[in-house]
Amino acid sequence: MDHLVFEVGLAIALIAAAGLISSRLRFSVIPFYILIGMAVGPHAMELWHFDFRFIESAPFIDFMGRIGVLFLLFYLGLEFSVGRLIKSGRSIALGGTIYIGINFTLGLALGFLSGFPVAETLVIAGITTISSSAIAAKVLVDLKRTANAETEMILGIIMFEDVFLAVYISILSGLVLSDSSSLGGVLLSALIALGFMLAVIIIGRKAVPLLNRILRIRSNEVFGLVVFGSLFLVAGFSETIHVAEAIGALLVGLVLAETEHAKRIEHLIVPFRDFFGALFFFSFGLSIDPLSLGGNAIWLALAAVILTLFGNIWAGMLAGRTASLSPKVSANIGLTIVARGEFSIIMANLGKEGGLLDIVQPFAAIYVLILAILGPLLTKQSKPIFNMLNKIFKFKDPRLRKEESKTI
Amino acid sequence: MDIRESILPGIGIKYRIDAESGDRIVIIIHDDGRRELYHFDYEDLEQSISMTTLNDQEARQVASIIGGMTYKPKQLESVEMTFDDFIIEWYKVEPHYASVGKSIGNLDIRQNSGATIIAIMEKKGKKFVNPGPEVVINEDATVVVVGERDQQKRFKQILLNGSG
Repeated sequence: MDHLVFEVGLAIALIAAAGLISSRLRFSVIPFYILIGMAVGPHAMELWHFDFRFIESAPFIDFMGRIGVLFLLFYLGLEFSVGRLIKSGRSIALGGTIYIGINFTLGLALGFLSGFPVAETLVIAGITTISSSAIAAKVLVDLKRTANAETEMILGIIMFEDVFLAVYISILSGLVLSDSSSLGGVLLSALIALGFMLAVIIIGRKAVPLLNRILRIRSNEVFGLVVFGSLFLVAGFSETIHVAEAIGALLVGLVLAETEHAKRIEHLIVPFRDFFGALFFFSFGLSIDPLSLGGNAIWLALAAVILTLFGNIWAGMLAGRTASLSPKVSANIGLTIVARGEFSIIMANLGKEGGLLDIVQPFAAIYVLILAILGPLLTKQSKPIFNMLNKIFKFKDPRLRKEESKTI
Repeated sequence: MDIRESILPGIGIKYRIDAESGDRIVIIIHDDGRRELYHFDYEDLEQSISMTTLNDQEARQVASIIGGMTYKPKQLESVEMTFDDFIIEWYKVEPHYASVGKSIGNLDIRQNSGATIIAIMEKKGKKFVNPGPEVVINEDATVVVVGERDQQKRFKQILLNGSG
């Protein structure tokens, strides 16, 4: 452990280089972080002083990646608001349900048809269902699509997915992380998880005035310490009762979002989220040996990619129709949220923690890599893709149909 | 006019404005202060045909211009607007300027510079629109001047030195 700082420095330098390359290529940064992680690791070489195997520092980098998950979910909680979701309307709730329904069903089908046990199938369905908020939001801004008609629907579906993610992780962590194997035991731990979540939210709501007072701290240093302390304490405590620590972090975020200090906390947390988030993707890549990527994982991932593409376009068209958007606009919905990223990896890590089959990790890696790269490309090319699909399917514009019936 | 506001979580706020002319304008206020203005083709309301990005300060200035020139240049030394060759510029009169205390007629501004003073705003709130030659330029007043670029340059000289 003598050269820990040096090794971590090397890791961060590699991540930074990957980031620089991706921004030079004007590309989503997530696949690059994962790829650079995969490129090094125990199978890599040692060059003079530079040890690219990261053997000594691996546990430490791993831990920093775990912190990255906490910050990602904490931020998600801070940004999320139930009021906003309700305000965003019926069509979005409907669209979100359609999206998750289709993709989740396809994920389950893939798992079962490939002959996986229940737990693995549920994790795989989770991996294939939840889009990457980070990539989708960034692509919208980068491609100047925020003004488009479908943007609200896209962001609404993403928000809806976040809710699904929270509930799903809590159920799944009860299932996968608990030691019990009987149905009753699993149900019990899922109940504990849900009960814990409800308790934190309810107590948190009641405690908002108190929290407002406690957090009225002038010093930025102490303020940061108090926020970090509560984040790590609650997240760590969740882990002790078999609730994924990510859920704990999400809950702290949800509660603090209600306080008047939400903006200040957000400001404080963003640099940490970005830094540790990058380490999270890197450490995920580090945990995968590219030499072991042969065979089954690749075929499974390719099948999943095809299913996801199909499911996304289908769900996008349906969701768009419920909000009476034109087919062209609807096609954008599905094609924009096709990217998978951070949440799929969190799911895969959950599977790893629960000691599920080894194939889940490399599967998730290939799947996320393909879709994190393909997603932004499909979004950019949504127009020609729609025109192509339209030639085959001849989509009907629901608005035109309405007008036709009016004139009659 | 029809204005619709919606929140874009993680991005900012979106305003969709359908003007009487049939044009659709979408304004996005990003959380980082950036403003984006999109203009949609009214033959195809799904296709944005042009867009502009402004930073926070630029957006405020544009807003004041669109809002009908009620902009009060309190923090700024000078504000500039251009219509082809014509520029409207704001000048704050500093106490050390040689022109302080002299009237527009005395300085013979139109003759010497070619520029025209269209308004003077005194610090105490007194306003002169289209001031005549008898109006005196006092310190801390803001002078709004219209003219071409070199006329503006000469006007600035007069303001500073008392003569062209």
